[in-house]
Amino acid sequence: MRSQLWGLYLREILRTFRNPFVLLITIVQPFMWLAFFGSGFGQYAKDLASVYGTSNYIEFLLPGVLSTSMLSVGMFGSMSTIQDKRFGFMKRILITPTSKEVIFLAKALGSATRGLIQIPVMVAAAVAFGVTFHLSALDWLAWTVGLLMVAIGFSSMFLAITASSTDWQTPGVVSNFITMPLMFASAALYPSSAFPAWMKAISDVNPISYSAKLGRTMVLGGSIDLQGLAVLALFAGVMLAIGYGVSARWLKVE
Amino acid sequence: MSALSSAPSAPADPPPAIEVQGLTKRYGSRDRGVLALDQVSLRIPAGTVFGLLGPNGAGKTTLIKVLTGISDITSGDARVAGLDVRRDSLRVRARIGWVAAEVILDDDFSAWENLWLQAKLQDLRDWQERARELLRYFSLDDRRDEKVSRYSTGMRKKLEIALALLHQPSVIFMDEPTIGLDVATRRMLWEIVTGIHTEFGVTVLLTTHYIEEADALCERVAIIDHGRIIAEGSPNELKARVQADLVVLETANGLDPKMLSALPGVQEVRPLGNEWTIRVASAEAFLPKLLHAVPPEEVRRISVEKPSLETVFLDLTGRRLGQDEPMRDVRKFYMQMRRARA
Repeated sequence: MRSQLWGLYLREILRTFRNPFVLLITIVQPFMWLAFFGSGFGQYAKDLASVYGTSNYIEFLLPGVLSTSMLSVGMFGSMSTIQDKRFGFMKRILITPTSKEVIFLAKALGSATRGLIQIPVMVAAAVAFGVTFHLSALDWLAWTVGLLMVAIGFSSMFLAITASSTDWQTPGVVSNFITMPLMFASAALYPSSAFPAWMKAISDVNPISYSAKLGRTMVLGGSIDLQGLAVLALFAGVMLAIGYGVSARWLKVE
Repeated sequence: MSALSSAPSAPADPPPAIEVQGLTKRYGSRDRGVLALDQVSLRIPAGTVFGLLGPNGAGKTTLIKVLTGISDITSGDARVAGLDVRRDSLRVRARIGWVAAEVILDDDFSAWENLWLQAKLQDLRDWQERARELLRYFSLDDRRDEKVSRYSTGMRKKLEIALALLHQPSVIFMDEPTIGLDVATRRMLWEIVTGIHTEFGVTVLLTTHYIEEADALCERVAIIDHGRIIAEGSPNELKARVQADLVVLETANGLDPKMLSALPGVQEVRPLGNEWTIRVASAEAFLPKLLHAVPPEEVRRISVEKPSLETVFLDLTGRRLGQDEPMRDVRKFYMQMRRARA
């Protein structure tokens, strides 16, 4: 199992680096959030430093944007699975002693790794926008692990939802359906304290909120939110287990 | 090339490479589903090139999917390389190779990287020497580090076969491997199939709807139609079953079939519009009588078919191979081309 998992995982990573377009989109998309939304909305946030905890909105926004980016890497993962089905590669893999569960794990981990590529680029972009970081090595590690958990969780969720599909459009449709409520009903773009009760209820169980708050607390000078980290680990674990089971049963070969 | 040989020393009575008993595969529900395989029974001896000949939709690919563990079995038994396909699916897959109708490679990877991935999927440790020898055997060694998207169709096919051979399988499934290939590449592939069978001692199960391919390559052939095996034997045995020539006559207007049936030597007459397929004991003896009986202005075309697998299929089913669904073949071909260029 280890050999197959390593082979398929490395294939995912190598294919990303050999497809400059995918790599560019992966990096540029969150960057545009910082550049356009951050610069535009940030002008109004300047006067609300008490609400945002900082007068530089990019400082507040960066952990939120990185968290929502982990949501979109899941979509790319399920698109690559559908591509494998449509081009027959899934059959090639499965006519070897490789199980469907291993394919799922490799895809989920590959997508999550793709998501992590965004972190250094986004941090560098934030520095260019005037953000200063005073994080310890442990803070960086905790933040990265938190983002990894979100990426694994959402990748697993996307893969489970699209396991039985061979339609190119499915990941996009699912993504459009899921992304907006998860992104806006979270603490990614603004504090959730003033949300209406129903939106706050969603935000309180939304992994993006936990991930955004985890990173934000540290960027704004706080310490590691271990409880938030544990919630994210639980989210990743549950989604991995669901995706694993769903793939074993319903992953379509072609 | 002896170092590449994977043929074990043959025991006195080797077990069959593939054994199928009463195999049924149904897609969908019992009342509204499609019966793709209907009580198929086959015994394929180890070390043979076995052909599965039939039109599109006959069940050839379904049988391969079932035997490779890609599709579930509805009922019946199947053993490959001595292992139960249902119970030992992963172990079966470690002992088989697969060559698809469409060339399926990772185009972002080089030939060597494709072999590396195959080795990982097969959980092989010391695969590099075997891979190097396979690349040499298929004359791909000087371009092993090039992205396979730059390869010609023939080179891609060779690499696909090399991938199928990397883990020294005892059975290779080739699902319509020459569909859509030009004549030269098809001939090259025939040589490769014969070569790997001899060189590596593998059992090859090849599906095709090309008569000449089955005739040229296969030691034994099973003819499949509507999910059922309707005949099985060596090409010569199958041809001997017909023991007749077929004369195909096309006329300007209709003819009285009784007149044709009454001619000496005629065994059977099958009309299809203004075309008549006449089964006779000997075409040489029959043709002068036919030309005497039919007015010259009525005759548009006459052709003679000596016993072949085509006439065997025609004799068994009343149809020609591919007669029903020519468009599916064209679609399959273009699909393959699109995938190859993607």
